[in-house]
Amino acid sequence: MNNPIIQREVVGFLRSPWSLALQFIPAFLLAGLVIMRWPSAGQIDLAGSQARQVFELFGYGILTAIILLVPIFPATTIVLERQQGTLALLLNSPMTNWSIYFGKLIGSLICVLLPLFMSFPAAAAWYAMTGVDLVEHLGRLYVVLLMATIQYATLALLVSSFTSSTDAALRITFSMVLLLAVASLAPFQLVQGGQGITVWIAEWIRSLSPIPALMEIVGRGDVTAQGLVTKTGFFGRFIMMAAVTSLYFIVHGAVRLRQTLFDRPRPQGVMTQDRSHLGQWGRRMVFLVDPQRRTAAIGDWTNPVLVKEFRSRRFGRSQWMFRLVAASAVLSLLLAYTATTETIRWGVETIGGMMVVLQVGLISILTPSLAAGLISSEHENGGWKLLMMTPLSATRIVIGKLLSVGWTVGLTLMATLPGYVVMMAIKPVLQQQVLYVLVCLLLTAVLSVTLSAAVSSLFRRTAPATITCYALLTLLLAVPMLIWLARDNPFGHSLVENVLTISPMAAAFTAMDVPGFVHYDLLPLNWYLIGAASIVCCVVLGVQTWRLTRPL
Amino acid sequence: MSNDVVVETDGLTKKYGDIVALESLSIQVRRGQILGFIGPNGAGKTTTIKILVGQARPTRGSASIAGVDCVNDAQRIKELVGYMPDTFGTYDNMRVHEYLDFFGAAFGIPRRDRILRVEEVLETAGATYMRDRFVESLSHGMKQRVAIARTLLHDPEVLILDEPANGLDPQARIEMRELLLQLASMGKTLIVTSHILPELSRICDQVAIITHGKLRAFGALNEILREVGQQRRIEIQLLDADSADRAAGIVRQNVEKDADVVASSTEFTVRFQTSHSEQDLGALLSQLVTAGVTVSQFREEAMDLEDTFLSITQQTAS
Repeated sequence: MNNPIIQREVVGFLRSPWSLALQFIPAFLLAGLVIMRWPSAGQIDLAGSQARQVFELFGYGILTAIILLVPIFPATTIVLERQQGTLALLLNSPMTNWSIYFGKLIGSLICVLLPLFMSFPAAAAWYAMTGVDLVEHLGRLYVVLLMATIQYATLALLVSSFTSSTDAALRITFSMVLLLAVASLAPFQLVQGGQGITVWIAEWIRSLSPIPALMEIVGRGDVTAQGLVTKTGFFGRFIMMAAVTSLYFIVHGAVRLRQTLFDRPRPQGVMTQDRSHLGQWGRRMVFLVDPQRRTAAIGDWTNPVLVKEFRSRRFGRSQWMFRLVAASAVLSLLLAYTATTETIRWGVETIGGMMVVLQVGLISILTPSLAAGLISSEHENGGWKLLMMTPLSATRIVIGKLLSVGWTVGLTLMATLPGYVVMMAIKPVLQQQVLYVLVCLLLTAVLSVTLSAAVSSLFRRTAPATITCYALLTLLLAVPMLIWLARDNPFGHSLVENVLTISPMAAAFTAMDVPGFVHYDLLPLNWYLIGAASIVCCVVLGVQTWRLTRPL
Repeated sequence: MSNDVVVETDGLTKKYGDIVALESLSIQVRRGQILGFIGPNGAGKTTTIKILVGQARPTRGSASIAGVDCVNDAQRIKELVGYMPDTFGTYDNMRVHEYLDFFGAAFGIPRRDRILRVEEVLETAGATYMRDRFVESLSHGMKQRVAIARTLLHDPEVLILDEPANGLDPQARIEMRELLLQLASMGKTLIVTSHILPELSRICDQVAIITHGKLRAFGALNEILREVGQQRRIEIQLLDADSADRAAGIVRQNVEKDADVVASSTEFTVRFQTSHSEQDLGALLSQLVTAGVTVSQFREEAMDLEDTFLSITQQTAS
């Protein structure tokens, strides 16, 4: 603790209201779970099944919380120092880059491990309930959670050292964490049952995720294996993979913390039109849409805010839109291919469920990163004052901004649709189900966009707006799934159904008859709820914009 | 209101709860003039500007630009005013010409005219060479030029520039000064706030000094200097130390009893402060000459804007 950075980070965190929330919310939730399954009325649970039920739910819940909460602090810490100019001061001090890095890492870890520490009393209660072994269950679970925390914190710090804005740092970190935790499971899904080096590689890639290790600990078997072959040993593999990747992230992150971080020339802005004929021809060959090509003036009938949003977003320009749409189309076609080759083994419904996960995942990652800064970033960069000095009406500004997000999200979602066409070709009776699923997805997209835009209008900085958007969408999409995981044990059918009603993803699953969701009746109530929530968000956005545009 | 007056405020008052940000501000600025708006931090400059550009409502009083009410016709005001706030308003990943094209489109300039207009304003602001640069990569001085170009896009009558010279190096400051004079020569009316007072004193036709929300001085720079500088600083240059002593004696007999008359035997000068009129000072010079004192120079030391500003703020503080 002699490192002044650790002291500053920890003291700064403890002074914020977040620290109080991170201490009390997990403690209260876990206490609730213990109370729910605590043996009562003179009954003793000798088999310890009740303790294991809550232990399982706790495992999934705390891992979800780690995936969503851990990146926030470390992902913004270096980039914020750079923005505020204090990173240059630190690098000019006698502190080495290693001590600065470890100061940041340990400081962040102390902050993010706080909720984990707060779970110790609940863990002790489960141990007392019998059925949960101290070493086999609790010990191994905490090791997995600790390693996952270190892995994501070091990854976030590395990303933070590369990016120049907090929202970009958050967006990239969350995408990479989801890639490590969830997308890493996909390759094995496709090649399982086979043999050879491909399966071996897919198994190791799967070990990057803590989910198989967690499922092994809670006794759920082998994730994504469809019961073909149940493998074990994921605990050790994950520890190994997490240690190796964390070590790499640490070394790379610490090495980047040098004065050379600021040694960048200002881009001189050489445009393609100003290059030689050979240069122009070369770029035409390489780029479908050349980012260095001088753009045309905004059309007379176009909303200028819409064009501005696309031009000022690094990933909004045409070349990036093409890449995003192409990647979505490839993913969708990959699933369509799987649908045709694996229909008998998996069933169209399961593959439909995977497509829903892909699309909802795209929406939930893409939308907050695009929409959470719609208005807050204007305040942050001083653009709002200038917009207010133009004759553009508030409605036109908001519509331009919403359209810029809607267009991107819409195009990306459209690119994922070919998979459904293949499914309908295989099983024509699915036509109505697919239509229902598309309505669910459309409503999810509308809610995500309006929610993110409404949140954006409430903040003056983009980073907290982005975090809030991700937190709210997670609450909406992931928490009902956690409750569903604990269906029947300990949560009853009606409670699960009620909770699932607020989740558009669950509604899409029920529409698609995805295994596990067949017995829930969520439509059309879910549509009404999502529609009403979207309207509320629009009202909040409208009122806030009106407040922001009227003279004080 | 005279036809020539473009910006006019009358008893402009703004209160935030119990805090009086602005109290009965009345000023008039004529077409083609440059008004230097001076005051310490928190004096009420930004509040005044916000009211003038329609972003704040006054508690009392009125403000108009070219006869258009700033409070009730904010939409028309946007067309009449080019406002450059103290923050630049950067959009990431946008090139300078895209940035100006966006604001041009926002002001409803048709596409064909806009393409030409962007080039024109870049040229006026001396920023043509930056057109393909990313806005966020520009230096502070470059950004100020682009900001001026942005305010000129819709050809406004009045330019309101908040601290345009702030953070600029000496060369860039000289260039900015020349640019502002060029804009005034184009018939634009300018309201410029600045903390760099010598900059303003060289370009402003009128000065408004505001402290604690109240207008302390307003008018042509020379008039204010005379108003504020009731005590004139006079320096008499002589040929030798003996003459300096004799001159000091004569001066003491002719000025106020408590006046501080300082004779320098090394510089051969006599310095004193007085509130006497031009006629009195002429009589003093005549008396010196009659007494056989050889005077090589008899001059009034010019008080600059900085002295005036300090004098006013000190008076306010006391």
